[in-house]
Amino acid sequence: MKVLKLGAKYKSAVCDAQIMVIRTIAEPVDLRCGGVAMLDAGAAAPDGVALDPAFADGALIGKRYVDAGDRIELLCTKGGKGSISLGGDKLPVKQAKALPSSD
Amino acid sequence: MGLAADYARSLLADLGADPGLLANPDSHHPAIAWASSGAMALTGRPDQPPRMCPAPLAACADGVLMALASLADRPLPADLVGSRLLGERAAIAGYGRKGSISPGGSCRFLETGDGWIALNLARGEDWTMVPALVGQDIAQDWEALAEAIRALDTNALRVQGRELGLAIAQHRAPNTPKAWFEVLGTGPATPSRANAAPLVVDLSPLWAGPLCGHLLHLLGARVIKVESTHRPDGARQGPPAFFDLMNAGKPNVALDFKTRDGREQLRALLARADIVIEASRPRALRQLGIAAEALVAEKPGLTWISITGHGRTGDAANWVAFGDDAAVAAGLSTLVSEPGEPPVFCGDAIGDPLAGLHAALVAWQRWRGGAGGLIAIALADVIGHCIGFDPTLSAANATQRSRDWQAILDQSGIAAFPPRARVAGQPARPLGADTAATLAELGIRC
Repeated sequence: MKVLKLGAKYKSAVCDAQIMVIRTIAEPVDLRCGGVAMLDAGAAAPDGVALDPAFADGALIGKRYVDAGDRIELLCTKGGKGSISLGGDKLPVKQAKALPSSD
Repeated sequence: MGLAADYARSLLADLGADPGLLANPDSHHPAIAWASSGAMALTGRPDQPPRMCPAPLAACADGVLMALASLADRPLPADLVGSRLLGERAAIAGYGRKGSISPGGSCRFLETGDGWIALNLARGEDWTMVPALVGQDIAQDWEALAEAIRALDTNALRVQGRELGLAIAQHRAPNTPKAWFEVLGTGPATPSRANAAPLVVDLSPLWAGPLCGHLLHLLGARVIKVESTHRPDGARQGPPAFFDLMNAGKPNVALDFKTRDGREQLRALLARADIVIEASRPRALRQLGIAAEALVAEKPGLTWISITGHGRTGDAANWVAFGDDAAVAAGLSTLVSEPGEPPVFCGDAIGDPLAGLHAALVAWQRWRGGAGGLIAIALADVIGHCIGFDPTLSAANATQRSRDWQAILDQSGIAAFPPRARVAGQPARPLGADTAATLAELGIRC
């Protein structure tokens, strides 16, 4: 369990996935990828952990993942094999940004 | 003779095309081309006179069109002037120069702890990424953002912003220019051809890509505009006269890329194309199961135009850019801003029309010559190429060059023209208006 920091990056312990925190809450959460707790971007990967096949739907680069309460939003900055989840709840993908009318 | 013709000649040489058919009209001095393009009126602070650009951008735009005309099977319309394309959108939308804010309003210069960045929040939802950019929850307005950014480091902001998918660039002097296009893959060639009309599938939104398709349409190509039903071209929400100008004459096909059938129809359309215009990040089509590299390798002569902000290789392939911030990344803002003042933008999303012009030229020549290939056009590189066309221009002498060119303009008695736009001959087609008819005609299952 950890308090997610705005703009911080976390990486999967079991695949290549990496996320950045776009929106968050003050309380600690159980952020996982592939069923295993995600690590600070700079941390070393622990031994003896493996991708849980029940959490292997993959994370796609550029997609945003939002929790059921629409309070936590995570941007996938590197794709991987694991599913992003909060505890046992897999996070669904948010619809892509509409294109601008002008730039 | 003049700079525009020199530029046309150099582009044709880059393409291995014969410059023999290049007309040799007297072209204006680059300072006069700049003033008459309409882009000068869009450069500088609103309470000050329009600014000279010491790089020959408008003359280069005239040069691209000159090169294109020399390769055309039919005369281009008389009202089509390369340099005036730079001001067309602003003319229709009613934009003016706003100094450190882009004419369109979505891109702004913001002072950091150690310099300036240009941040383009063109998509409404971009604001939802801003707290992650600055590492704190802030009010969604430019004042609060400017305040938060003042404490941060330019390079860290640029890295974080790009990872967040925001269009961000550092205000800095131009780099050594790169080539204006790159061939990233080829397949079997075909014999060269004249008087044939290629089938163009135009997947691109906004300005650069649609302008490329529009120019190919004027050259005689059949251009089909393809949009996603879920995420149509955002320019539909902008001034209709501009959308019409870019897209009139293109049958419109709308497909649901979320369904297997929609993706299958898209693949079938691409399989029939002679030229594809596409302006997304490479991963977007890859995630739909479409690999430009593979299609180009298979189909003889297929010319795939990939328009991006910063290229489609390495980390840069994932960076978002629009026309105003790409110009800043290319170093253009340092050439039109006085040292010590807040930087100003140069023209309206100037990377878009410049890239669209260059893209049309390389598309037409690579298809006609039969070589085809996956052709990467990066907004920042095209602008950098135009800036670098005069190798004597540097950050050190830009201010003096601007004064000299302004003096030439003053002597000629010409003042900066307001931007002007052509008028579309007909409205653009509504979203999906030609889906069934086009698919049926091309033998694709609906």
